Amino acid sequence: MGVLVSLRWWLVFGVGMCLLPLVVSTGTLRILVFAQFLAIFAMSWDILSGRTGYISFGHPFLIGIAGYTTAMLTYHLGVPLYFSIPAAVVATMIGSIFFFIPALRTRGTYFAVVTLAFMEVLYHLMQVVQPKLTGGTRGLSGLPTIILGAVPNYYLSFGVMFVIGVGLWLLIRTRLGTALSTIRMDEDAARSSGLNTTKLKLFAFMLSAFVAGIGGALYTHYLGSIAPRGIFDISFLFSILIAALIGGAGTIVGPIMGAYFLTLLLEFLRPYLPGPERYLIYGAITLLAYYYAPKGFHNIFGLLWQRLGALGRRE
Amino acid sequence: MKIKFALKAFLAAAVIMSAYTIAAPASADEDPVVVGFIGSFDSDVGKSTLRGAEIAIEELNEAGGVLGGRQIKLVKADTREDVAEGIKAYEYLNEVEKVDFIVSGSIDDVSLGWLPRMTEYRTPTLDTWTSFIGIIDKVVEDYDKYKMYFMNVANDYALAMLYVDFGKDILAKKMQWKTVVVLQEDTAFGGGVFELIDQLLAPEAKIEIVDHIVYDVNTVDFAPIYSKAVQATPDFIYLISSVRSQVPSSQYVKLQVPLPMTGINVAALGMEFWGDTGGMGGGLSTLSPIPSIGIDMDDRSKAMLAKYQAKHGDNRPVVPHFNGFNAYFGIYNAFAAAERAGGFAPLDKWVTEMENSDTKIYKDGELWLRYAYWKPGEIEPRTEREYTHNIKFDITPPYEDGAPSMVVIQWYTDGSVKVVYPEKYANGDFSVPPWVK
Amino acid sequence: MLSQILIQGFLLSGLYGLLAVGFTMIFSVGRVLNLAFGANIMIGGYVYFALAQEAALPKLPSFIGAVLAGVAFGVVTYLILVRRFRDDPIAVEISTLILAVVMQALIVMIFSPAPRSMWPLLPGVAHIYGVAVSLNIVLATVVSWVVLGGLLVFVHKTHLGRAIRAVSMDPKGATISGIDPRQISLVTWGLSGALGAMAGVFLATYTQLDPGMWVFPLITAVAVVIVGGIGSIIGSLIAAHIIGFMETITTTVIAAELRGVFTMLLIIIVLLVVPKGLFGREEI
Repeated sequence: MGVLVSLRWWLVFGVGMCLLPLVVSTGTLRILVFAQFLAIFAMSWDILSGRTGYISFGHPFLIGIAGYTTAMLTYHLGVPLYFSIPAAVVATMIGSIFFFIPALRTRGTYFAVVTLAFMEVLYHLMQVVQPKLTGGTRGLSGLPTIILGAVPNYYLSFGVMFVIGVGLWLLIRTRLGTALSTIRMDEDAARSSGLNTTKLKLFAFMLSAFVAGIGGALYTHYLGSIAPRGIFDISFLFSILIAALIGGAGTIVGPIMGAYFLTLLLEFLRPYLPGPERYLIYGAITLLAYYYAPKGFHNIFGLLWQRLGALGRRE
Repeated sequence: MKIKFALKAFLAAAVIMSAYTIAAPASADEDPVVVGFIGSFDSDVGKSTLRGAEIAIEELNEAGGVLGGRQIKLVKADTREDVAEGIKAYEYLNEVEKVDFIVSGSIDDVSLGWLPRMTEYRTPTLDTWTSFIGIIDKVVEDYDKYKMYFMNVANDYALAMLYVDFGKDILAKKMQWKTVVVLQEDTAFGGGVFELIDQLLAPEAKIEIVDHIVYDVNTVDFAPIYSKAVQATPDFIYLISSVRSQVPSSQYVKLQVPLPMTGINVAALGMEFWGDTGGMGGGLSTLSPIPSIGIDMDDRSKAMLAKYQAKHGDNRPVVPHFNGFNAYFGIYNAFAAAERAGGFAPLDKWVTEMENSDTKIYKDGELWLRYAYWKPGEIEPRTEREYTHNIKFDITPPYEDGAPSMVVIQWYTDGSVKVVYPEKYANGDFSVPPWVK
Repeated sequence: MLSQILIQGFLLSGLYGLLAVGFTMIFSVGRVLNLAFGANIMIGGYVYFALAQEAALPKLPSFIGAVLAGVAFGVVTYLILVRRFRDDPIAVEISTLILAVVMQALIVMIFSPAPRSMWPLLPGVAHIYGVAVSLNIVLATVVSWVVLGGLLVFVHKTHLGRAIRAVSMDPKGATISGIDPRQISLVTWGLSGALGAMAGVFLATYTQLDPGMWVFPLITAVAVVIVGGIGSIIGSLIAAHIIGFMETITTTVIAAELRGVFTMLLIIIVLLVVPKGLFGREEI
C-alpha cells in the first residue's frame, strides 16, 4: 500500500517532466538531457555502491566499455544500433566481472582503489593498443545518432531514466533490496544468517553494469563521439560520485536529485561566471553541500516531509 | 490525510517550479549578429583565439557594423579543454544564444566532440587551433554534412610535408645530419605526425630514423628515455610533443643531453616559453603554424598586434599564438562572405561565398599571408589530394600561391626567438644548444 | 645499460618514496586515503614557485615557506573535514576528493592553467659511471633519503613518534594508555602535509607545474601504499623502489608508452593476491 502511495509521486514527477518541454527553452532541455544521463550513471553507481557499500571509484570503466563497444561496432563495421547497443550492454556486464572478482577478497577503501586502477588501465590501453580501432587519444567522432533534436532526446533520456529509476526503486523495496543493504551493514552477519552474499553481490554488480551499459551506450550515441579523456576522467567520476552522494546514496531517488542539482548548478552559473571562477564556486557549493548534508538531499527532504506530515495530522 | 497530500503536492510543485526558473536567460533581442566563441577561457591558446576574434569584432562594429549596420555581439562558452564541456558549450551557443557563427580555439578531441553537434545545428564554424587532417577528410568525404566547417590553420599533413623540406634543406644539407631518433608522445597527434615523417624523411631528406621511442605523456623522468636515444648515437633528436611539452624540453636542458633536438614542441609556440621554462629554452627549435612568434610582420598583422598589446598589456599571452591572427582574419573573411551572401543563412550561399574568400596580405610587395580556402574537388599539386575547407597553404617553394603551412622558429640563449625556415621568412639562423658539440 | 637502469631507477625511486610516505602515514594512523594529498603536493610546488621564482626570494626560505604551507593545508584539512567525518573513511575520501577539485580550480584562478617549469634547485649535470644525471635529481634523492631516515628515527626513537605508531597499530589500546588519538592525528596530518609539500617542490623541478598535476602523484602514492601495505614506512620505501625500478625498466627496455599500465596492473595483482600488501600487517 505504501509503495502504491509513493508510486503516485513518481507519476507526478513523470507527468511534470513530460510537460516541461512546453514551458522551457530547448537550451534548458539540452542541459536536462545531460542531467538525465548523469542520473542513470549515478543510479548505476548507487545500486552497486550505495546499496552494498562496495564503493566504486572506477565507474567510468563500465561506462567506457559500453561506449567504446557500441562506438567501434557502429563506426568501423556499420552495425545497426539495435544490435550494437544490446551488445554493448552485454559487454559491460561481462566487464563488470573485473570488479566482481576483487570484491570477493577486498572491501572498503581497497576495493575502491582496485576499481580506480581498472579505470586507469583501460584509459591507457584505449590509447595504446590498436589506436586505429579506438581512435587513440582523439577517440571516434561522427557516430550514428538515435534521434536528433533537443525535444526528442529529452524524452528519450527522460524515459530511459524514468523506467530505470522506477524499476530500481521498486527493487530496493523488495526483500532482495533489503538483503543487498544488509551487505553494507554487516556482510559477515548477513552471511551467517544464511544469505548467499556472493550471489547477492554478483546480482548487484550485474544490475549496476546493466544500467551503466544502457546509459553508456545511449550517451555515446547522443554525443555522437567518444574520447578517452572525456570518459575515463577524474571529473566525470567526480560528477557521478557526487551526484549520488549529495542526492543521497542508497535511495535511487537521491542520485536523480543529485544529478539534476549538479548539472543545473553548473549551467546556471555559466551566464554569470563564464570563466574559471565557475568551477571554483561549483566545487565549493558541492563541498558545502556534502559537508553539511553527507546523507544527501533525500534525507533532508525526508525529514521535511515528516515535519509536514506531522503538521498535516495536527490540523 | 488530504491536507497532508495537498501540502506534499504543493512542495513538489514548488520544487518543479524552481527547476523551471533555473531555465536559461531569455535570448536577447534579434537585432545584433551573434558570434559565439568556443574554447578554453584561461589557456594561452583559448585566449589567443578569443582576443583575436574580439579585436576583429570591435573593428567591424566601429566601422559601422555589418549586414546593413547591425552590430556584432560576441558570446563566449568555456570548454575547459574538456570533451563533454565542449559539447555542452556548443549546445549552449546554439540553443540559448542562437549564434549565427562560431569561432573556435579547440584542441583535437574537443573539436571532434562537438563536430556531431555542428552537423546537427549546421552553424557556420571556423576552427583556429586544431590541425587534425581527419576533420578535413570528413569534409572531403561527406561534403554536404560537414560543409559549414572551415579550418583556418594548415593541417598536420601539410605541416609534416614542409617539415621534411626543412630536414632536407637545413638538417641534411646544411648541418650534414644523417640519422635521427624520433621521440614521440603517445597521442593520436604524435602517431599521425610520426607516420608521415616515417614515410618521407628517409626518401626525401635522406635522413634515417635509427630509433623511435614512444613515451607516455605523464612520464616523470625522461633520463632513461634520453639515455636510450643517446645510445642509438643519432645526429639529432626529433621531438613530437603537444601535451605537457615543458617536461621533455626542460629535462633536456637540465640533463644537457649531448644531442641537438628539434621538432614539434607546442610549449615553445608562445612568448611565455622563455619565462615558463625559467630561461632554459635556449637552443630549442620547433615548427609553428603561420604567423608565428618571431616572424617579420606585415602591416595589418602589426596593427592588430599593437591593438592587442594596448588592450592586454602584460596579461599572458603577450603576443597571441598563431590562432589569434587566424581568428582575427577568419572573422573578417566570414563577415565579408556574409555581406556577399546576404547573411549567414541560407547556409549554402554563405559557404559558397566563404569558399570564394581570398584575403591576400603583402609585406614589401611580397605575398606574405593568405586567408583563402581549398574548394571542393580542388587538388593540391604536391601531395595530389584534396583539402576542402582547409586554409589555402602553399608547400612548394617559393610560396607564391599562399603562405607555407609552417615555419621553424628557433629560441636563442639570450631569450630571443627568430624564424629560421623557410628562407623567404627566415630572419635568424638555425642553432643548437651551447653544450652540444 | 645496467648501470644506467640501476642509477636512474634508484633516483626515481627516491622521489617516489618521498612522494608516498606522507600519504602512508595518514593511511596508517587514520585508515583513510587522503585524496587531497595530490593537492597538497601541488600546493608545495606552486608556493615554492611563487616565492622563489615570482617573488625572487632565496631558495631556502622559499622551500621552508612551501613546507609551512603544506603543514597548514594538512592541519586545516584535518580540522575541518576529517574531524567531521572521522567515523566514516569513505566520507573522508569523498570530501578530500572534492577538496582536491576545489584546489585545482583555485590554482587555475591564481596561476592560470598554463604549465610552468621550475628552475632546478641545484643546476648542473654529473656523470656517474657514464650515466648523465642532473644534480637537481641527485639532490632530490639525497634529501628524500635524509627525510625518510629522519622519519624512521622519529617514529621509533621519540615519544611522539612512538605514540603515532601506537595509534596506528591499535587506536583503542593507545587511548587506554593515555594517548589522545585526535592529537596524534593532528600531528600526523601536519607532518604529512610537510612531506607532501616537500615532495611537490622536487616533483615540480623534475616535471612541470600545472593545475592538473595532482592526479598523477596521488595515483603513485596510492600504488605505493597498496603495494607496500598499511602501516609500514619500510614497506612503502621498498614498494617505491619496486615501482620506480619497474618504470625505469619499462621505459628503457620494454615500451615507454606502457609506463602507466604496468603500475596499475601491479596494484590490481597485489590487491588480488596479497590484499594486505607485501609488507602490511594482517588486517584490512
